[in-house]
This record gives sequence, C-alpha cells and structure tokens, in this order.
Amino acid sequence: MRLSALVVLTVVLQLAVVSEIPLLGTNADLAPLLVLSVGLLGGPVAGAAIGFSTGLLVDMSLVQTLGLSSLLLIAIGYLAGRYGEVGDRTHALIPPIAGAVGTFLYTVAFSISQFLLGVDSAVSPLLIRDIFAQAALNGLLAIAVYPVVRRVLRPCLVEYFVPRRRSATTALRTTSS
Amino acid sequence: MYKKSVRRRRAVLALLVALSIALLTAYFRESASGGLHAVQRGFMEALAPLQEGATRALKPARDFGGWVGDVFDAKSENKKLRREVERLRSQLVATQTAARDRGELKTLADFNQSSLFPDGYDHVTARVIGRSPTVWYSTITVDKGSSSGLHLNQPVVTGDGLIGRVSTLSPHAAQITLITDHTSAVSAQVVPDGATGLVKPRVGDPSDLLLDFVEKGRSVPKGTTVVTSGWRSSRLESLFPRGIPIGEVTRVDSKERELYQRVHLKPFADLRQMDVVEILIPSGGGGSSSAAERAQTIP
Repeated sequence: MRLSALVVLTVVLQLAVVSEIPLLGTNADLAPLLVLSVGLLGGPVAGAAIGFSTGLLVDMSLVQTLGLSSLLLIAIGYLAGRYGEVGDRTHALIPPIAGAVGTFLYTVAFSISQFLLGVDSAVSPLLIRDIFAQAALNGLLAIAVYPVVRRVLRPCLVEYFVPRRRSATTALRTTSS
Repeated sequence: MYKKSVRRRRAVLALLVALSIALLTAYFRESASGGLHAVQRGFMEALAPLQEGATRALKPARDFGGWVGDVFDAKSENKKLRREVERLRSQLVATQTAARDRGELKTLADFNQSSLFPDGYDHVTARVIGRSPTVWYSTITVDKGSSSGLHLNQPVVTGDGLIGRVSTLSPHAAQITLITDHTSAVSAQVVPDGATGLVKPRVGDPSDLLLDFVEKGRSVPKGTTVVTSGWRSSRLESLFPRGIPIGEVTRVDSKERELYQRVHLKPFADLRQMDVVEILIPSGGGGSSSAAERAQTIP
C-alpha cells in the first residue's frame, strides 16, 4: 500500500512539479531515483517490481510507448537491488552515486531504445549534455530522495533489521573473546 | 534454501521482463484506436483531475523551484541580491505568478486580435497541467479535452507562435505534441521570400529547429521569419492554417553535395515555459476537424 502510494505520488509530482522546474538546462527525473532507492533498500525483486509498475505508470500517464520505461526501470531496480545485497549500501555517498549512475544508464538506454525504435528527426549533440546534466541533477536529488523513501518504507522492510542483528552478534563475539 | 530464493527471484525478473516486452510488442502492433491506446487515454483522463489539483496546489512550490533555477543560472547576481530577495521572496513569488499569468494571457489576447490569427478559426484557452520529463517526448498535458470542443490534430499556439498539435484526447484533458517532439513535422514558408520547407526538431535542443528541404539557391537571410505554409488540395489539407509564426532564421547550412539547404530556426514560443496555451478550432464547431483527422499524417 505504501509502495503503491509512493509510486503514484512520485509520478504525479514528476508531471505536475518537477518537470516544470528546469535546472542545469534540464529537468530532474524522480522515476529512476524512486526505483533505485527501493532497489537498494528492498532488494532486487522489490526493485524490479517497483521498476515495472513505475515505468508502466509513467508510460500510461505520458502516453509513451507502453512497456519501454518498464523494461528499463526493471533493469535499474534489479541492478540496484543486487548492489544493495553485495555492496555497502550504508555509505553516505552511495545514494548520490547510485542516483547519478543509475539515471545516466537509464537515460542512455532510453535514448538507444528510441534510436532502435526509429527516429526520423536529427539529433542535437546537446542531447549528450542533457544526459550528463540530468544524471548530475538526479545524483544531487538522490541525497534527499533516498532518506525519504527509506523513512516511508521502514516498516515494510524485513531486511532493515538484519544489520542490527549482525552488529549484536559482533558485539557478543567481542565480549567473549 | 538460498537456491530456491535465487530461482524465485529469477522467475519474478523473467516474468516482469516478459510482461514488458509483451506490452511493447502489442503496443507497436496495434493502431492508435487499439485497446492499449484506449487504456492509456482512459488513464490520462483518470489522472487529469489529480494532476490538475497537484498543479494548482503546488504552483507556488513550482514557481519557487523556477525561481531557484533562475537564481542558479545567475550566481553572481544572486550573491549581491540574496538578502533583499529573501525578504521579498514570498511577496515576489505571488506577484510574479500573477504577472506571468497576466502576461501570457495578454500576449494571447493580442495574438487573437492581430492579423496573425488565422481566419475561420476560434480558440479554446487551456492551462498546462503536465509536462513530459524526457527530451524524446516533447509533450504537455492541458486541462481541456473533447468536452470543450477539441479534436485530434488541432493546432496549438501561444501568443508568440505555433507550439504543436493535439495528439491524444480524453473528455477533460488533452496531450499536445510540441514541434520539438521527434515525431513532429510542419510545412512552413519563409516570409517574405517564399522559400518553403518542412520544420523538424533537433532532439535535445528545444531552441533549435530545422527547416529542411529548402531549395538550394533560394535566399534565406538571417533574422527572417518562418510561418506555417498551410496548403490545401482537393482531398487533403494541412493540419496548420497558413501564417502562424514559428520562428526566426538563425543560420543556414548549405553543403555543395546536397540538393537542399538546411535552415536553422529559433522558435518564437518558449517551449519550456508555458502555463497557458490556445487550441485553434475551426469556426462552426468540429466540422472541419474531420478533415484534419483525415489528414493526420500530413504535416
């Protein structure tokens, strides 16, 4: 329920507010940030599922090619989830780096998909600047988005308690030695 | 146990990917009147009130964000004025919002009364309630739909000039495909010289349009105006009426080996900052819209 509300809220906010605010010559994109955050916090399955539903909602509301954003966001969510499992997701720099890298991959993949699906128009080199600017902007925005998503999802996340148990075990071992 | 969990995870992933690909394939194969397109239109209609509410409620936040963006671009000036701006911020946001709306409406009113407003057309004024975040899909959503008399492919303008056409309709909302969208093409003419061509976008740069297929040897001086050419034949007619301003010539690319020259334009309308737009509807209701719908592939 929380996740659904978060997805809908993100898409509405994106369309009504964030897309209207140009920064660094481009707009931030909340969709990959939400999917990355859920992937990092909830694991690959949650990341992929939220990627699918967010992508579907984005494609539906913007009347875009249905399924394309879903496909790309599934990959982003899954990869973020895998990283969350094997890497150190508690480091303070992870959200901005993941935000920038994930957005970069998403926008590059989106552009490549558009080429593959057929583009009749000329493409300006400024598109490359836009991709980098959006990645940088999303990297900065991830610093704010990640804690918000963590706060909203905290009660739903079983994994959230895992580090606490581990640290307790570590403490016991230290005492006994 | 671990293997089972990995297997389950892979199964979920495969299912979601397969579902996406199935949607993608089905969407591509069906026509614009197909089931998935209808679901999209229905969804847009359902989302429109929510979007409109959010747009209105969060307008101060958006204006504040826009203000932040402007300030970000003008760092040096910002440092000098920061103290004063902070004191005046709330007052300024309210005043600027009202002034901006008034300015846009006044420009539109001037356009309606000018000789540039096409004969045989009325207009419906609409507010922008959503905008596509990607440069690939240059679209906006407005708060008027078929219940206000809108039809597919009707031209959309601001007080400065042409911005696009109605591409998707629901009863109370419509999606406008801007002239910077990669699917857009508008037949146009340079005035007063008369050279004609097709205005197409350059994806990624909304301030640069291309007037393509202009005969080599035709003089297209920098600074001249490009307007819609608005042609009509016995069976088909252009979607855009004649004489709507599109942009101003900025430079011309002419290579020896190419048959045509490419003219670069700067659009008159600010396609990234619009709050109010006008949809041009043929006088006497949607009568001629069927002609427009028939000619929907003709730019």
